[in-house]
Amino acid sequence: MAADPVPERTPILAIDNLQVSLFTRRGVLPAVDGLSLSVAPGETVAIVGESGCGKSLAALAVMRLLPEPPARIVGGAVRFMGRDLAALSEREMQRVRGKDISMIFQDPMTSLDPVLTVGDQLIEAIRQHTEASWREAANRAVELLRQVRIPDAERRLDDYPHQMSGGMSQRVMIAMAIACGPQLLIADEPTTALDVTVQAQILELLKELQTRSGMGLIIITHDLGVVAETADRVVVMYAGRKVEEARVGALFDRPLHPYTRGLLGATPSAIRRRGGRLAEIAGSVPALSDLPAGCAFQNRCPDVFDRCRAERPALATLLPQQSAACFAAEKELSRNVAAIGT
Amino acid sequence: MRRIVVRRLVQIIPLIFAVIVLNFVLIHLAPGSLFDVMTSEQQITDPAMLDQLRHTYGVDQPTWVQLAKYIWSVMRLDLGFSYRQNAPVLDVIMEQLPATVILMLASMAIALLVGITAGVLASVKVNTVWDNLISLGAVFFFAAPSFWLGIMMTVLFAVKLGWFPVGGMRTIGVDHGTLADALDVMNHLVLPATALGLFYAATYARVMRASMLEVFRLDFVRTARAKGLSRGRVVLAHVMRNALLPIITLVGLQLGTMLGGSVVIEAVFSWPGIGSLLFDSVMSRNFPMVLGVLVLGSLLVAVCNATVDLLYMRLDPRIRAR
Amino acid sequence: MLALAIDFARRFARNRAALIGFVLLVAVIGVALAAPWMFPRNPLRIVGRPEIWPFASSRYPLGTDSLGRDIAAMIAYGARTTLLIGLCASLTATLIGISVGALAAYFGGWVDELLMRMTELFQTIPNLIFVLTIVSILGQKIEYVTIAVGIVTWTPIARLTRAEFMSLRDREFVQACRSMGMGNLRIMFGEILPNALPPVIVLSSLVIAGAVLFESAVSFLGLGDPNVSSWGRLIGDGRTLIRSSWYICAVPGAAIMLTVLALNLVGDGLNDALNPKLRDR
Repeated sequence: MAADPVPERTPILAIDNLQVSLFTRRGVLPAVDGLSLSVAPGETVAIVGESGCGKSLAALAVMRLLPEPPARIVGGAVRFMGRDLAALSEREMQRVRGKDISMIFQDPMTSLDPVLTVGDQLIEAIRQHTEASWREAANRAVELLRQVRIPDAERRLDDYPHQMSGGMSQRVMIAMAIACGPQLLIADEPTTALDVTVQAQILELLKELQTRSGMGLIIITHDLGVVAETADRVVVMYAGRKVEEARVGALFDRPLHPYTRGLLGATPSAIRRRGGRLAEIAGSVPALSDLPAGCAFQNRCPDVFDRCRAERPALATLLPQQSAACFAAEKELSRNVAAIGT
Repeated sequence: MRRIVVRRLVQIIPLIFAVIVLNFVLIHLAPGSLFDVMTSEQQITDPAMLDQLRHTYGVDQPTWVQLAKYIWSVMRLDLGFSYRQNAPVLDVIMEQLPATVILMLASMAIALLVGITAGVLASVKVNTVWDNLISLGAVFFFAAPSFWLGIMMTVLFAVKLGWFPVGGMRTIGVDHGTLADALDVMNHLVLPATALGLFYAATYARVMRASMLEVFRLDFVRTARAKGLSRGRVVLAHVMRNALLPIITLVGLQLGTMLGGSVVIEAVFSWPGIGSLLFDSVMSRNFPMVLGVLVLGSLLVAVCNATVDLLYMRLDPRIRAR
Repeated sequence: MLALAIDFARRFARNRAALIGFVLLVAVIGVALAAPWMFPRNPLRIVGRPEIWPFASSRYPLGTDSLGRDIAAMIAYGARTTLLIGLCASLTATLIGISVGALAAYFGGWVDELLMRMTELFQTIPNLIFVLTIVSILGQKIEYVTIAVGIVTWTPIARLTRAEFMSLRDREFVQACRSMGMGNLRIMFGEILPNALPPVIVLSSLVIAGAVLFESAVSFLGLGDPNVSSWGRLIGDGRTLIRSSWYICAVPGAAIMLTVLALNLVGDGLNDALNPKLRDR
């Protein structure tokens, strides 16, 4: 039982056993409990899970944008191009944000400053990390708006956010994010707040920009359709822990973890064909303050047995480039191997 | 935009009209007739003058005629004659108005500067010693009567320490050039403007703090930080601009109160503005002057309100679209 | 009902500043009520040498003023004046404000338009100037001062009442009352008003504070009732002596400040207790 599947090239981002806790009145809650993942250049990793599973917090932890009073990184390392981001000073981290790593968020309508023009906000992003003059930055801003396929780019510079639709605002956000040529772009639920018709366009845009620049892309979502469209590799999270990781094809073809199987619904192939959504799994995610001993999924799992309640399953590579944290899956696969062996 | 400006200014007219009618009602509430009120205590003995006044104010005519005549005279900017200063009411008021305007502008400037800075500081260092101190200060200055503050400040800074003059607007008897004169006025302006302004500074500090804390939680602040902006830049360029909007509304609402407050401060510091004028007129039962101050004071506030409204529209692009 | 009151009191008590304010307020009320016992004689009587400093003589713990009157006695009686006028003016303002706000919200249309214009009018007229005008025309009696102060402080109450009414007006229970055939007035004052009252009461406590400040300004200027002992008047009388005996101004001013402070803290506490969702910061 070795460690995570190793990607072919040296990763740009290597999250190593990240632990983020929430310090609340009800106690210390392990919101992200030992997450490890890596992203290679040009690769798209999707992080999937229900809301509250810790995926957004993990992303914010990478950017060091955690809401400080309740949340804090309490363990692990986040290595970007070899540097541990968690150890950087705030000043140094500011030089990384927006330039080496960028992030876009879920609701583009509220993510832009309402009293400044779109142009001003773009130019601000550009001039923060380059020596460009105002005029040069303005020109670059127009170029960026064209890159994200916003029509009539020059005039758009003087628009205010409230004058734009959701889809257009998200394009502006993407333009701001790629303005300084980042090596990694984190997209936290980039299409959730948008119309269905616009969702596909935005995803297409993201993939196109990635192909052109070779940057890594992390897409956080709860929508398996998005995963099917964009991801190379998928990480499934549950209650703050990673429960499965696989290449996208493998995940849809033979999901190992019962939770993943639940997400994919009864007919995995059908889901992949029509870009499906979350199926309903009986029960609900346990509250972080009430996690059971052993596997966190035990109360909803169709394959649960005694060991699950006693021990916490560790992530194990059960198939080539596919790992899962599940005793039932382990048992099933070793039985198959044994059966083949005989 | 120009149409909106004109429309906003035109809205003032019915307001002033109502003030004039209110004036008229007040005069009629006073013991004695309109004529008595307008001429009492003036010791007018000239019969020709009395006749003219009778005609102007329509003494023997039905009330609505009197009202019409009164409105007509006010529209012609004839607010009556003040025998105490031996000049038309309007002239006297206009002569003393600039001093009050200077005082109000200075007080508002101090209030905004001190209040906004304190509010921003308290919100950035929320729940620390700084925050608690500022909140404490705000609570005290909000409760202290401004005229009392003025007197206490006079005792400390003028009487005991001698840093500033005790009262008045200028040093009498000395004739400097224009620049020195301006500095002299500013020297005299410090204590009264501070006394008047601190009360409002307390309000602005509290509101700014609450507003900043609200804005800090909004999504676009997270975006700004994700762009790699320093904390200082995020606060100054993004948070403050959004947090200031409620303050501007507040400034508009408080202009009327501030004009009233300047009356008392002018009395304390012998500042020669319309506040002192009003005070003097009330004491000497100079009703035309009192009512004239009321009308012009209301007009001043209405104009300031309109200006503030237009300023708000300029600063919040979401409203401009309407 | 009792459980609600206890819960409310507990939430109020959690705010330490509000508790301090409450204690202060009780102290002021106590002094006001006890004044005739503590100082049985007319406080405006001359009792000793003029201009004795506070704590200098055991007979006059707060000293004497320019004429030789006992400052402590005048402060105690002044508390009665202050609280009385504050309360009455606030009551006047609340009555006017609630009526205007309720009528405007309930009837809407041109009634609303007219009443809101009126509100705007009273907001534009500079408050103190209006009070002084009224007092100068009607006369310097305590009733006129009270009414004048009430007239300039009702506008925020009207706005709040209107907002509350408008949110309650379209609720189901009102529709139900209407379909039962209840008259308008009865619905307004019997059904809607009791539900709209809590935030209005909180605002009223802040209005009392404002009324106190207004009254003190008027009597400071010498335009209050000359037969009544008032804190503002004390400050006004002491103005000529600020070089030598500035305590004559300091003491009554501190009294005003503490009273207004107490009212503000209590008002804030009431507000917090009514809106628990704002507290978890």
